[in-house]
Amino acid sequence: MANWVPLWLHRLGSPPIFYRFAGAVYPWALGLAIVLGGIALYGGLVVAPADYQQGDAYRIIFIHVPSAWMSLFIYAIMTVAAFIGLVWRIKLAETVAMESAPIGAAFTAITLATGSLWGKPMWGTWWTWDARLTSELVLLFIYLGIIGLYHSFEDRRQGARAAAFLVLVGAVNVPIVHFSVNWWNTLHQGSTIRLLGPSHIAASMVWPLLTMMVATKLYYIASLFSRVRADLIASEGGKAWVRELALGPAQDGKA
Amino acid sequence: MTPGSTTAACAALLRRDLTLAWRRRGDIALPVLYAVIVVTLFPFALGPEPALLARIAGGVVFVTVLLAMLLSLDGLFRPDIEDGSMEQLMLAPQPLALLVGMKILAHWLTAALPLIVVAPVLAGMLHLPPAAAPVLVLALAIATPLLSLLGAVLVALTAGAKRSGMLLALMLLPLCVPVVIFAAGAVAAAQDGLPWIAPVAWLGAGLALAVVLAPLACAAALRIAMES
Repeated sequence: MANWVPLWLHRLGSPPIFYRFAGAVYPWALGLAIVLGGIALYGGLVVAPADYQQGDAYRIIFIHVPSAWMSLFIYAIMTVAAFIGLVWRIKLAETVAMESAPIGAAFTAITLATGSLWGKPMWGTWWTWDARLTSELVLLFIYLGIIGLYHSFEDRRQGARAAAFLVLVGAVNVPIVHFSVNWWNTLHQGSTIRLLGPSHIAASMVWPLLTMMVATKLYYIASLFSRVRADLIASEGGKAWVRELALGPAQDGKA
Repeated sequence: MTPGSTTAACAALLRRDLTLAWRRRGDIALPVLYAVIVVTLFPFALGPEPALLARIAGGVVFVTVLLAMLLSLDGLFRPDIEDGSMEQLMLAPQPLALLVGMKILAHWLTAALPLIVVAPVLAGMLHLPPAAAPVLVLALAIATPLLSLLGAVLVALTAGAKRSGMLLALMLLPLCVPVVIFAAGAVAAAQDGLPWIAPVAWLGAGLALAVVLAPLACAAALRIAMES
């Protein structure tokens, strides 16, 4: 019955079709990300009340927690894309995995930076060797290793395949980061947001957080799509569809 | 052993690698010398206070051994790839994972075993209590093959890359964090008179997993690196 879904996904794996699809989605994703991000920042920084314990300093949560979620979410996407790329040798999946890495590394760096800014007034220290902080730092190193490996090959596809393999090897770290707060009882506070069941946080603070979460996801989509488009143009430079894109339709046929 | 059987091939490969290493005996001594020099630097940098040195002895020895092994890892597959014998191993009818496992074993015997032998001396230089020395050797005996196996996968991945020296450190060190935590944790526990068997058991579990999975991953990574 719903035969068109796998068919559509299959067609989307072809570079020219994905190029056009990404080009159509990109402005919408970026625009929505900016609008929702603005709303979330207004809600978080102006509307939400000050915390009973942490005062106004807690407001950095509206940047810190969504970036931390994204640092893990992007790695999960990369793992799936790398697996698809390695097993079925779909070039687009390799490109998605590799172009996600710098975005994920950036979100991880933001998480670490905002975390240390938050840690200074709350814990009295910029950095502590606590389980969640160190595993997030290790995640950043893994991202950097993947980016470094990808760029150290002369052949792009070979580099992408080697780095995709490293993505799978490094995937063991993701559950460690995610559950470290529950496994080791350290300085970092436990998680307060629950998707199932009641959250341990006021509703006026939850909605900006969730809005920001959607905004960061949309930003990831926009950023990824524009990176993948650039990469496709670069790597498929000799193909007919790129020539057609640059010179107009079927010029070489008539000339 | 019938010639051409998998056992014979593995034995031949192991013998070849060990003979090659023995012909270049000087290279085996280099990681040991490196470890001795790095450990000597710590008393100069931190001051010769025995209590302080005894506190950090276990951790310093583990980090030093890890760095020494990192230096020796680059030579694991590179000579074979350069002279073309890696292609022959891939074409061989025997499973590549098994043959690669033999190469890793040979690497561990030549690069890590000498380090384990000198480790009690290094720890003694840093005033580690003699009671903790057997635990140190046991933890090293389990942790170093784990590092060899993990390192081999990543060396195989960089085998096709043009420049790989610092990159290997960037890729390997994050993955080694759990090994260092458990190995140094076991020594610290023994030093404080606490039960140390749990971290050693974790290391053993990691090693069991790596022995099964790492040669397979290594073979797959080598095929990616060589396919161009």
